[in-house]
Amino acid sequence: MNVPHAHLLALAAVLFGLGCLGFLLRRNAIIVLASIELMLNAANLAFLTGSRMHSSAAQPSLEGPIFALFVILIAAAEAAVGLALVIALYRLKRTAELDSSSELRG
Amino acid sequence: MSAAHQLAPEAIASQFRTLFDASAWSAVAPLAALSAGVVLCLITDLSRALAALRGPLVFAALAACAWFQVQLLLHPVGVVLRDSLHGDATSAAFGLLFVAGGLLAWLASHGYYKRDGQAPLAEHDALLLSAVAGMTLMSAANDLLVFFIGLELLSLPLYALSALRRSRAASVEAGLKYFLLGAFTSALFLFGCALIYCATGSIGLDTLRVLAAPGSLPMGELALLGSALIAASLLFKLNVFPFHVWVPDVYQGSPTPVTALMATGTKAAAFAFLLRASFLLPASASTTLALLALITLAIGNLGALVQEDFKRMLAYSGIAHAGTLLLAVAGALGGDPVANGATRAIVFYLAAYVFSAGGAFAVLAALEAGGERFTKLENLRGLWQRKPIAALALALFMLSLGGIPGAGGFWGKWFVFEVLVRADMTGWAIAGVLMSVLALAYYLRVIIALFMQPTPAGIVAPRFERPASLGASLVLCVGAVLLTGLLPGMLLGLLG
Repeated sequence: MNVPHAHLLALAAVLFGLGCLGFLLRRNAIIVLASIELMLNAANLAFLTGSRMHSSAAQPSLEGPIFALFVILIAAAEAAVGLALVIALYRLKRTAELDSSSELRG
Repeated sequence: MSAAHQLAPEAIASQFRTLFDASAWSAVAPLAALSAGVVLCLITDLSRALAALRGPLVFAALAACAWFQVQLLLHPVGVVLRDSLHGDATSAAFGLLFVAGGLLAWLASHGYYKRDGQAPLAEHDALLLSAVAGMTLMSAANDLLVFFIGLELLSLPLYALSALRRSRAASVEAGLKYFLLGAFTSALFLFGCALIYCATGSIGLDTLRVLAAPGSLPMGELALLGSALIAASLLFKLNVFPFHVWVPDVYQGSPTPVTALMATGTKAAAFAFLLRASFLLPASASTTLALLALITLAIGNLGALVQEDFKRMLAYSGIAHAGTLLLAVAGALGGDPVANGATRAIVFYLAAYVFSAGGAFAVLAALEAGGERFTKLENLRGLWQRKPIAALALALFMLSLGGIPGAGGFWGKWFVFEVLVRADMTGWAIAGVLMSVLALAYYLRVIIALFMQPTPAGIVAPRFERPASLGASLVLCVGAVLLTGLLPGMLLGLLG
């Protein structure tokens, strides 16, 4: 299978854009978390595309895949902290809607 | 797999030895000390007998890290580990600031959580140390991946720390807000890195610097877009307009010791990397950055002027200080920040800021723990009669933040504006100076409250929970502020 690099990058950009929109428009904490995950995975796809663009048979470009591995690892840690915070909010407010938390006002 | 990719165990071992030579070890040693501290800290939570060891352990980890950083400052080793980590005077100087920020936050946390009925937690100390390790890694990174790992090593503990008082809605809300925005900016940073990698095939700053140098082939729109995303994520960490809106809420909601670490450490770490990676931004971005810096300064100062809450006022004042520092970065664009003095100016400014703001937060944390639960400005009235030493120290910190000659903050501002004048941006420098004069108004307001106004009815003298910890912080901060203020040449000499 030989998908052109431009298509892969375009897909990554679309996924990233969707994640961005989800983050900015949705108010449920779980959906917002999922949107951030989508953005991280878009970045991973772009890293792997970059690796394909710069690899040759003799010299593979390994920075991209290794970066992506670290991103997967850190995304898991981030999800753990994020969900813990959402649960802490739910315990206090009985809801995961972000607009419900307004103790602090700019 | 082809034969070329297979490596014998001996070959791997010898490669490891060449990679981890003596200079690599001395660059990694401060990080190793902090990481060991994190692991041991969690082990002390296993039994009651070990718990008593935790305090000395945290202190030992910070002291060991500081010692290794001083060694590095005196004997820099350059770039190590396949061009991924700096072991130079700049990273060591930043590292020492992070140790100081961590130490101040740790001292301020003593007795702070007692009122919540919460015993001091091992997690708190472990998270604090790993946040300091993250900052150290950020300022030493010479690779986008290493910086990203440092950024997350700093951010994840801070998310958890800011929500540490989980029975308080304000604390949890601060944590969640900080987390969501922080995770969003991490994603922006990552996508920026991915775009740069696609455009150039590299994530090392040394390679990218060669590619971005004027005269070589232009990096293309993809790389520029990537640089813009990375710059946006750094501006978020620096609390620069338009990414400043979250700052007052998060600073106010978080426990005060954590706020101290956020205000001093995170900002310094992000500036360290912004200086290293400033070549990614074209010289033409200088005006945009200076404009953003000036707007940030105006928002910070005007916001601080109208605050009735001392903690929020310090948050807004932190925004203003980030604006001043960004002016120096704008002045340094298009050249090597080490060569044109911007790095020196920023390290000096941050040194003065870490100790002035850190000291102010230490006093605030002690007052809160000592019975003045509210952080309202009016509660500071007449503190001179109740706690003269704390009031005097707080006044000195305010003078330093305001940039009065004799305190370190003055020279920090001086060096920053010097960079601007040298870069032919005198107009911006004058605007910055005018803003600093405006800032004096709210710092003086605190001093007037401390010394000239009577104690409001119903306020009793606070009983400090841990006077020794507060005393140690005050001695450290007052000493550093006066030293940088009266003998600025000493610190500058160390920075080379």
